[in-house]
Amino acid sequence: MIITKKRDLKDLLENVKNYRSFFLIGCSECATLCGTGGEPELKAMKEALEAEGKAVTGTFVAKTGCQVLGTKVELKPFKEALDKTDCIIVMSCGAGTQTAVDLYEDKAVFPSNDSLFLGNMTRLQFFDERCSLCGKCILDKTGGICPITACPKGLLNGPCGGCKDGNCEISPDIKCAWVRIYERMKKLDKLQEFCEVTIEAKDWSASQKPRALTAREEKKK
Amino acid sequence: MSFKDILNSGKFVVTAEVGPPKGTDIKEMIHHMEILKGKVDAVNVTDNQSAVMRICSMAVSKIAMEHGLEPIFQMTCRDRNRIGLQSDLLGASILGIKNLLCMTGDHVSAGDHKGAKPVYDVESVQLLKIVDGLNNGKDMSGNEMKGSTDFFQGAVVTPEANPIEPQLIKFEKKIRAGAKFFQTQAIYDIEKFKDFMKHARKFPVKILAGFVVLKSVGMANFLNNNVPGIRVPQVLIDELKAAGKEKALDTGMNITVRHIKQLKEEKICDGVHIMAIGMEDKVPEIMERSGLL
Ligand code: SF4
Ligand code: SF4
Repeated sequence: MIITKKRDLKDLLENVKNYRSFFLIGCSECATLCGTGGEPELKAMKEALEAEGKAVTGTFVAKTGCQVLGTKVELKPFKEALDKTDCIIVMSCGAGTQTAVDLYEDKAVFPSNDSLFLGNMTRLQFFDERCSLCGKCILDKTGGICPITACPKGLLNGPCGGCKDGNCEISPDIKCAWVRIYERMKKLDKLQEFCEVTIEAKDWSASQKPRALTAREEKKK
Repeated sequence: MSFKDILNSGKFVVTAEVGPPKGTDIKEMIHHMEILKGKVDAVNVTDNQSAVMRICSMAVSKIAMEHGLEPIFQMTCRDRNRIGLQSDLLGASILGIKNLLCMTGDHVSAGDHKGAKPVYDVESVQLLKIVDGLNNGKDMSGNEMKGSTDFFQGAVVTPEANPIEPQLIKFEKKIRAGAKFFQTQAIYDIEKFKDFMKHARKFPVKILAGFVVLKSVGMANFLNNNVPGIRVPQVLIDELKAAGKEKALDTGMNITVRHIKQLKEEKICDGVHIMAIGMEDKVPEIMERSGLL
């Protein structure tokens, strides 16, 4: 899921100070789990805007905010409210925000959140970054733990000299990614592989932006 | 004699460090070079050490050569992608720089430009492979080059790391990638270092033991708490304590001298690397007291 964090409300209000009427779009997926764009957050935003003397013409939580066509269909019943709106605030990730940009070319669209990373929820509202979307997965070579993401230096062949008592030099409260990989490989009886294989420098060409993929084309191949 | 030849001659080698300053005033640095000249076998020129921005190590390596010192050009992966690294390596080569120390580099969060984008396009093991390729006339993509480099490349290892096994595996990967010599992180526990050397001696590489002189009890505690891979044993801290504040530095130097002597007499490793960190003027004295001059 995409992990998001609320931006500073004061800054947001400053950014939108010249607009009068607002429509709020949240998302029932990641943003709801992150507590940044579900029903309660939309309600709070509505109240904050109204306290500033703004009009809120409607609020809506999209099923999947990054799904452009689905969201377009879902928003049909809100046509009137949206017509009366001069600014849309999207309370999801940056992708959801850009769904609104696609759908409402002539309206101002503002994000209420910062999109942080792709991660896993390990406990209620505890999120860990797990994948950097590098475009070519190497988890098969690293015991299923992603060092590109879990190691701040993205090292591919073992721990740096900074590893201290098994913890990471940069964030001492987390375990060194390469100690984790080493321990897992050992458990799986794959230490030999860890010792003998030197992972080549990563091919970053698959992560050059912007990326696009057509599932239909992939199927045809 | 080149650093490589000296190492291969079997002499107990001594290297020290020159830290490029922040800013263009290099008077003090040149002074340090003059002090070290004719005494040490080579000087490491650090590359934006601790991710603090300073003069680049290539320029300072060249200046070291002009002042009659043999430089070991430290190169970290933190600040350049594979194109920048190779381009700098070719540049260093035509300037006559021979010795390299390939390192991943401290993370930008440790330094004075915390908002910088850390690069780490490649890491130490892969950098060693790149150097090996350049020495054989090929760039990293396998393209033939006009003229090759002739580097003598080394790397670093942390003999007192905990856990040690993954570090040792990486040490072997570095050897397979082409490392010819190693300079270690500062060591304080000779018995532990001997254990490491038992392993290291299985490989055809030269090992220089790293030393950082203890100046005070406070410094020892600081190293223990803040510098990963360094462990100052309690007995040494007690020794410093017993000496009192005034004699602490002298005691710290004694400890270093004692350790260096032991390594040399027992032929435990191939030499030492003295990281004086601002006390370059003390290096000749340490060498003298260790019987290295
Ligand atoms: S290797 Fe790449 S795709 Fe695989 S988990 Fe890591 S960042 Fe994600
Ligand atoms: S301590 Fe481990 S996780 Fe942290 S930067 Fe070094 S290798 Fe990466």
